[in-house]
Formats: sequence, C-alpha cells, structure tokens
Amino acid sequence: MAASQSLEGPGVRFFFEGESGRNTRGLLRLIILCTIAAAAVASRLFSVIRFESIIHEFDPWFNFRATKYLVEHGFYKFWDWFDDRTWHPLGRVTGGTLYPGLMVTSGVIYKVLRFLTFPVDIRNICVLLAPGFSGLTAFATYLLTSEMSDSPSAGLLAAIFMGISPGYISRSVAGSYDNEAIAIFLLVFTFYLWIKSVKEGSIMWAGLCALFYGYMVSAWGGYVFITNLLPLHAFVLTCMGRFSPRLYVSYTTWYALGTLASMQVPFVGFLPIRSSDHMSALGVFGLLQLVGFTEWVRTQLPSKQFQTLLRALVLIVFALAFGFLVLLTVSGTIAPWSGRFYSLWDTGYAKIHIPIIASVSEHQPTAWPAFFFDLNMLIWLFPAGVYMCFRHLKDEQVFIVIYAVLASYFAGVMVRLMLTLTPIVCVAAAMALSQILDTFLVASSPEDPETKANGSSKPNGNANIHEKIASAIPESLSSTKSAVVGIYTRLSKYVIVTACSIYLMIFVMHCTWVTSNAYSSPSVVLASRLPDGSQHIIDDYREAYYWLRQNTHPTAKVMSWWDYGYQIGGMADRPTLVDNNTWNNTHIATVGKAMSSREEVSYPIMKEHEVDYVLVVFGALLGYSGDDINKFLWMVRIAEGIWPDEVKERDYFTPRGEYRVDDEATPTMRNSLMYKMSYYNFDKLFPAGQAVDRVRGSRLPTEGPELSTLEEAFTSENWIIRIYKVKPLDNLGRSHQEAGLFEKGGKKKKASKRKGARVLRVE
Amino acid sequence: MRFFRRSLAALLPLLCLVAPISAAAEDRFATGLSQQLSTSRSLKLDDVSYSELTSAPRDYHVAVLLTALDARFGCGLCNTFQPEWELLARSWAKGDKKGESRLLFGTLDFEDGKATFQAMQLQTAPVLLLYYPTIGPNAKTSGNNPVRYDFTTGSDNADPIHAWLSRQLPADAPKPPVVRPTDYVKIATLTTITLGVISLISVAWPYMLPYIQSRNLWAILSIIAILLFTSGHMFNHIRKVPYVAADGKGKVTYFAGGFQNQLGLETQIIAAIYGVLAFATISLALKVPRMADPRSQQIAVIVWGGVIFGTYSFLLSIFRVKNGGYPFYLPPF
Repeated sequence: MAASQSLEGPGVRFFFEGESGRNTRGLLRLIILCTIAAAAVASRLFSVIRFESIIHEFDPWFNFRATKYLVEHGFYKFWDWFDDRTWHPLGRVTGGTLYPGLMVTSGVIYKVLRFLTFPVDIRNICVLLAPGFSGLTAFATYLLTSEMSDSPSAGLLAAIFMGISPGYISRSVAGSYDNEAIAIFLLVFTFYLWIKSVKEGSIMWAGLCALFYGYMVSAWGGYVFITNLLPLHAFVLTCMGRFSPRLYVSYTTWYALGTLASMQVPFVGFLPIRSSDHMSALGVFGLLQLVGFTEWVRTQLPSKQFQTLLRALVLIVFALAFGFLVLLTVSGTIAPWSGRFYSLWDTGYAKIHIPIIASVSEHQPTAWPAFFFDLNMLIWLFPAGVYMCFRHLKDEQVFIVIYAVLASYFAGVMVRLMLTLTPIVCVAAAMALSQILDTFLVASSPEDPETKANGSSKPNGNANIHEKIASAIPESLSSTKSAVVGIYTRLSKYVIVTACSIYLMIFVMHCTWVTSNAYSSPSVVLASRLPDGSQHIIDDYREAYYWLRQNTHPTAKVMSWWDYGYQIGGMADRPTLVDNNTWNNTHIATVGKAMSSREEVSYPIMKEHEVDYVLVVFGALLGYSGDDINKFLWMVRIAEGIWPDEVKERDYFTPRGEYRVDDEATPTMRNSLMYKMSYYNFDKLFPAGQAVDRVRGSRLPTEGPELSTLEEAFTSENWIIRIYKVKPLDNLGRSHQEAGLFEKGGKKKKASKRKGARVLRVE
Repeated sequence: MRFFRRSLAALLPLLCLVAPISAAAEDRFATGLSQQLSTSRSLKLDDVSYSELTSAPRDYHVAVLLTALDARFGCGLCNTFQPEWELLARSWAKGDKKGESRLLFGTLDFEDGKATFQAMQLQTAPVLLLYYPTIGPNAKTSGNNPVRYDFTTGSDNADPIHAWLSRQLPADAPKPPVVRPTDYVKIATLTTITLGVISLISVAWPYMLPYIQSRNLWAILSIIAILLFTSGHMFNHIRKVPYVAADGKGKVTYFAGGFQNQLGLETQIIAAIYGVLAFATISLALKVPRMADPRSQQIAVIVWGGVIFGTYSFLLSIFRVKNGGYPFYLPPF
C-alpha cells in the first residue's frame, strides 16, 4: 500500500490521500480480511472434498451425538441428560460433565438457519463449524495485533498467519467438530477484549471480556489458561510499578463477572472458588485491592513514615492471606491442582500416577520438528517479534511477552498445547515481519547524510544526568538507541522484499502441503493408493459400525478399548463400557484387565458387565499401525495400576525385554484375550506357516490361537475391525474349554468326569 | 480309619525331622534380625551366606537385592537405589523389632556373589527377589522359587518397593512404614542459602535494581526461554534423550532419524539456528534503518539478508532429513 505513493495522477491521488484515502484503505482492509477468512475456510475443506462431509476422529463423534440430542430434545432436556448408553452399567451424567458451549453454538446456528427456512442438516453445521470459526479467529487475531502494533500491516499479516498456520488447522479442519473448534476463537477474542479494557480502563470492555470468558469456560477446559494468564499479567504489571486505575477497573470487573459467569456451567460449578487452578486469580484480585487501597491512601496522606508503614502492612496482609490459602489447601478445603494441569509442571507426574493421561498421544512432549511442521518460518520470526515488544514496553506488550514464554513452555511439554501457542506466534511473527516490510517497502529514500545540513543529534548527549550504573544499562533496547534514518538504496529494498516474498510463498505452500497431507484425514475413513495411482478408500470402521447397528439388538453392550467408545456410541448407537470421557479409571482398568487376561479370567468379567460383543481393531493384514496390539501395553499398564498382582507388564515382554507377537511371544501374551481376538483365524488367510503381521513385521506362529468363550461375529473387509460375540453360559454347565474339547471329539479329561449318579431330569 | 492311622505312623518320623531343622531356621532368622538391628542396614551377603540364608526349610521371608555397585559396571540405578534400599531395610527393622513380619533384608553385590549370579543366569542388575517361607503358617507351595520385582519403571524410590513387599506378605503381618530421617544438613544448607540470598539482596539491592529493571536483561532472558522451549528442550528433559548417538560406523550422528525423535545436540543446533535467524531479523528490522552511512547500510542489508537466506535454507535441509517426504527447499543446501 505504501508503494502506491510513487504512482502519480489525480485519480490515484484522490483515492490514496486525505479523507477518501482513509476510506479507501478501510475498504481495502475489509476486502483483505474477507479474503483471508475465505482462505482460512477454504484451506480446511480438503477432507470434505476428498472424502465427504463426515465427522472425524473420536471425540467429535460424541459432540455430534450430544448436538443431535440437543437439537432433538431441546436445551433443558440436554442440560439434565443422563446417558445410560455409555459406561455400562454406571451411566454418565452427561449434561453435568461436558462443556456445552460447542453444542449450544451449533444448536443455535441450526435453529437460526431453520428459522430463516434454510433446509440444512445438523451434520453439515457440525462439520463446517470449525472452518467457519477459523475465519472469525483470523479476524480476532487482526484485532488483537492491531492493539499491539502501530504498523498498518501487522494485523493483516497476523490474520493470514492465523488463518492458514497448520498449528491451528490441525484442530479445526472441516469435520473436526471438537471443543477447540470454537475455543481458539474465544481465546483470542477474550485476550483482545482484555487488552482493550486494560488500555481503556473501561468497565464495558472488561464486562465484554468477562462475557466471552464465560463463553470460553462453557466451551473448553483450556479456559484455565486464561484464568491464570490474566492474573499473571496483572501481577507482573503491578510488580513493574505499572499499577493504574485502568488495571484495577478492568481486572476487578473481569474477575467478579467472569467468575460468576464461569460458575453457571454445571461441569465447572464451584471449582473457581475451590480448586487450586483458580486460586491465582483470587489471590491477584485480593492483591489489587490492597495495592489500590495503598495508592488511594498515598494520595490522601503524604507522610513518608506512614507510607513505609503501609507498605509493610500490605506485605504482611499478603503473606497472611497466602499462608491462609496454603492452609486451606493442605486441610483439603481447596482441591489441589487437577492432575492434567499439575502434570504440566511436574512432568514426570502423569507417567507414574495417571497412566491414562500419559497414554494419550497428544499429551506427549513435543519434539522440535513438530514446532517447525506446525509453524514453519513463524517459529523463528517469533523470538524476533517478542524482542520487538520490549521496544515500547507498555501494558499490552508485557502481555505478549508473558503469553509467549508461558505458551512455549506448555507447548513444549504437551503436543496438544501447540494450539494455545499458535495465536501468540502469529501475532509476534506478524509484528516482526511487518516491521521489516514497513522499513523496506517504502518508495522514498532518505537523503544522503553528507548533503544533509545536520545529521541526527547524538542520542546519548545528556547521559551524565543519569547515575553511573543506570547509564551503563540503557533505558531502551540497545538496538534502538539511535534515531531511525531509513533505507538508502533501492537494491537493499528489492533484495529484502524479494526474500520476504519467497519466504512467504514457501510458508503458504508449506501450510497447504501440511494441511493436505497430515491434517485432512478423517481417520474414520482411510485412504490409500493403488498401484496404478488411483485412490482407494478403506472404510472398515463404518462398515463394522453399521454392521453393529443393523445386526445387533439396540441394547447389546459392546466392549472395546476406550478409544472407540465415542465412535461406537455415535455411529453404531450401541451401549459401551468405556469411552473417551475417561472419568472412571477403575472401569477402564476393568476393561484393560479383561483384554489382557486369560479367557478363564476375562469371561466372568465380561459376564458380570453383561457384555454381548467385543470389538478389537487389528491392523496386521493391512499394516495399519494404530491398532489395539500396539495400544495393548497401555491396557496392561492401566490394569496393572489397579490389580498389580494379577496383571504384570513384565509378563508381556520376552526375557530379553522385547514386545513380540511371534513364536517367541510370552505365554501370557499369547493367552491374553486381546492377542487371541486379534490373531484368531488370521493364519487361515495364508499358506500354512506363512502368516505375517505387517505392522510388527514378524512371522506368526504356525498354530493360530483358539477361542472358546467367544465366537467370531464379524470381520471387516480389510480385517481392521473384528467383532466377537460372547458365548452364553454352557447349557450343560461345563466350562467353555471343556465344551470346546468335547466338540472337537477329543477324549473327555478324567478330571472333568462327573462323580455321582446321573440325575434324571423331571419336569 | 485304618488309612488315617497308617499315614500318621508314616508322618511321625518326618515330624521328628522337621523340628530340629525349623529350630535351625529360627536360629538363622534371629541372628539375621539382630544383625540387621545392630548395623541398621540390610544383611551384607556373599555366596555362602546367601545360600545359607535361603536354604530350603525356613519359616521366614527373605528379600534379597542382587546388585552391582562397583563403578566398573556403570549401573546407575544400582547406586541410586542402594540408599533407598538401606532406608527401607532400616525402617522395617526398626519398626518391627520383634520380627513379627518374619522378613529379612539382604544385599548381594556382584563382587561377593559371582557364583550366585551365574547360577541364576542373571544378566541385569539390580534384581530384587523375595523368598517365601517353606514351612510354617505362611508357607507357599511354590517351593524355593522366589518372586521377582520389576525395576521396569526405573523408579529408584523405596515406596513402590514397600508397597510391593506389603502385598506379598501375609495380610496380618506388621508392615512398618518407610521413615525418612530428617536431613539436617539439607535444612542447614537451605537456611544458610536463604539467609545468604536475603542478605545479599538487601546489601546489593541498590546495585541490582538497575539490572532487574533493565529491559535488555529481560528481553534476553525471555528470548532464551522461548528458544529453549521451541527447540524441544522439554522433550529432552522428559524423555531423557541421549546427547549424541553413534551411527553404527564409528562416527557420531547429530540428528536422530524420524519425526518423533531427537538428540540433545540436535536441539541445541536448532536453537542456535532459530537464534541466528531471529537475530538477523531483528538487525534487519531495527538496526539497519538506523545506520547513517549508506555504504555500510548497503553491506549490512546484503549480509543479514544472506545470513537469513542461507540459514533458513540449512534449516529446511535439516527438516528434510527428519521428514522424508518434505518437498520444499531453498537453493544452497
């Protein structure tokens, strides 16, 4: 835009100067923002175009099911929803244990569209919700960045970065109907409102901030990030001596209204006053009252001694309050840090104490390629942008710095939290890049210093006023001491602008490539290439779930590992024992024990839980590595956590510590229900002794496992899903093993011979 | 009836045999217990005393830690676990002075018990074995086969061992908890350090204040933190990855294969690359437009632009190593 100044002519002049120039720029800005939103939406549609409009992965299936329930039964029914089709036989108080924001949002959109007589399907709203909100996120990022930087281009750059950076796309492609879909927009927008309110000191902005904070609380558990970041910001500002009535007004308004708003969500309830996660917000609220009081007293009483006394008083009160808080925590009135949150600080905690958290792949620490994969060049512009924030260190820049450091730490500990890092990376990187572009994209060059009458005066001319030490450490950043001159030659400008364009091009191509290759697979439907290059769709999941839906009784209980619980509930509409809402560790461990024990042990467990069908995922035929045998060790570990004497992880490893499925597999492994169900009849597919597991890359034993308490009910086309029916108790009261032997025509074992005379059955 | 009487007759001589042996076992337990109490450590065993202590008719439990403490074996876990093991043995012996739980703690170092290690064909250390009594009310039928504790989690803490032992012992046996002695040295050191820091701060506060308020310092600190975290330092910390690895040909690899893997040195290289790129960006954006001399500014632009281009190209080439199918690159590398 700045380059257009070189163009001459009255028309151009009219459009780019004065009042109408401002309007033109505003219009351009609007058009650019709309284009960015369109790009953000478009780049998330790969999966819809390639596959179809389908809900992805695991959690979204539950959200989808809950949304359907909401739309069918109305809001109040949804609020009181008790779901007896999951966690059999316990059930789940679904209305009180979920974040309803997502479902309510799509429900409202659905009702509005219906009211406007658009014949739209709720599934399509769910599928397209995340891309739609990504456009809004780009806009919110624009607003946030514009508050941070004077540069006209920073906001637009940040918006496009946010729109297409894979770190955010990974959780918001079409069909990824998860809480994060709307939560990131709310996160960024809440931060924007917070900055706005701190800048203006207005109750209105703070009230809006609290409103959106409440919305955020209702949408995603990650709201705790805001709950701790805003107090930290206020605290740091107070420590820096930047306490102001503006801060006081905005923080207290936000805290009071926001806490009340957050307590309206049943799942959160009284947590904001009872759990340690929220205590920092309360503490800073108290601190601000104290500081505010002192500031007020200071204006009333100028006496020096009194001020010292007051300062001491503040310190003592603060220390006392802190001690009281600690006491409450120790005595148990305030709940300690929740496990998920605590494991961010004590990184070894989850592995030992909560294996169920450690078992989730998105809770693993992040290796560096993941950062580069998700953020490309932004990752190195990011530190530069943070450095530039130190130039004019005002309230909002302090926020950027705190957010940047904290979020990078969190993202390093947990892959999933890359999501909270992405917005700040986009903002900071945009600030850095816009600084470069604003410097080098200027048509006019400064005069040569020799022709200038008098160059810029020496910046540190009056340094002797400062103290000796203070002058050694400059007030401003060392790189911004002298005055800005500008860029002299065209060559420099061309070089840098060309280079930046190349980097931006690579960025765009990178984002498209990553989105297309890594983040657009629904994981319910798998795609592969045939030898002739055409696409082949592997649709085993849906095949199996529809088989369940059409061939089993509506109340038939299906046991599977918890990963598939939501999908079974959503697609097959059958009750499950455990699902992805991992609220009951013992119940999950029970399933783990049933899977990892011998049939004789598992059968009573399955009978006690009224299991009718068992579902396993098996990838050995196709080489699909996300199957249950690869997840098996987690089942063992979680079961071992509850029954350390009955299930031992060591027994599943060979003496040399290898995890094997072939001839050398341990007896415990080969007798486990999971192993048997996975490899049952698998050897019949191959010539004798030739059965090969293509995931583990090993040859299987010649003799396949035998099942006596289960019978194969269904195996999908590519053997990815195998469903077994649990046999009823034997009519003659034998154990299934004996019955199996009898069927085979083998001799009855002597031990099983019944003593005593036969009793004639009399009706 | 007749059958019963005959079997009783057959048992009688056996019973006579058992009595003296059980007395011998009682004896061994009593000496072991008193030794444990007096030295307040686990029994230090060798080949002979080991086989004596675990010889067949016994009415007590033995928990033996087979370990390799000598520095030559380089067994880190053995050495870190040893004090915890002694702590467990000590607190157990102190808490159960009469020996009601009938449990003895022994330690067999590889140096003293090569024969035992060979007989058991042990390849790894430490190994914790628990022998059940063969006679008495708590005898187990499994004979002389000890149960083995798994050090799979790599935990060097006494508490999981205590929990495991408690599960193996009969339910009515006393299970004294692990009592950690107060570490007076640590308390003293902490107090001294705290006091020292407080006094240092109070004395040096006027001199430190400008540094604490210095933006440059905070800027540098934040950027170092960001570079550390975004280059995967936390991954190294949590997964305890090796610093460098051998490539199998006698050379050292700096970059681990695979997207989900990394080496310690690798992350430092990446952090340095990010740092160079960020620094060059800062120079281009902030320093260059402040240079008054056109010639030197021209040179600076070319140099910093070149640095960014070259380093970024290098970064992309490293990323292509990590992620095989990555299609983008910049010329030099």
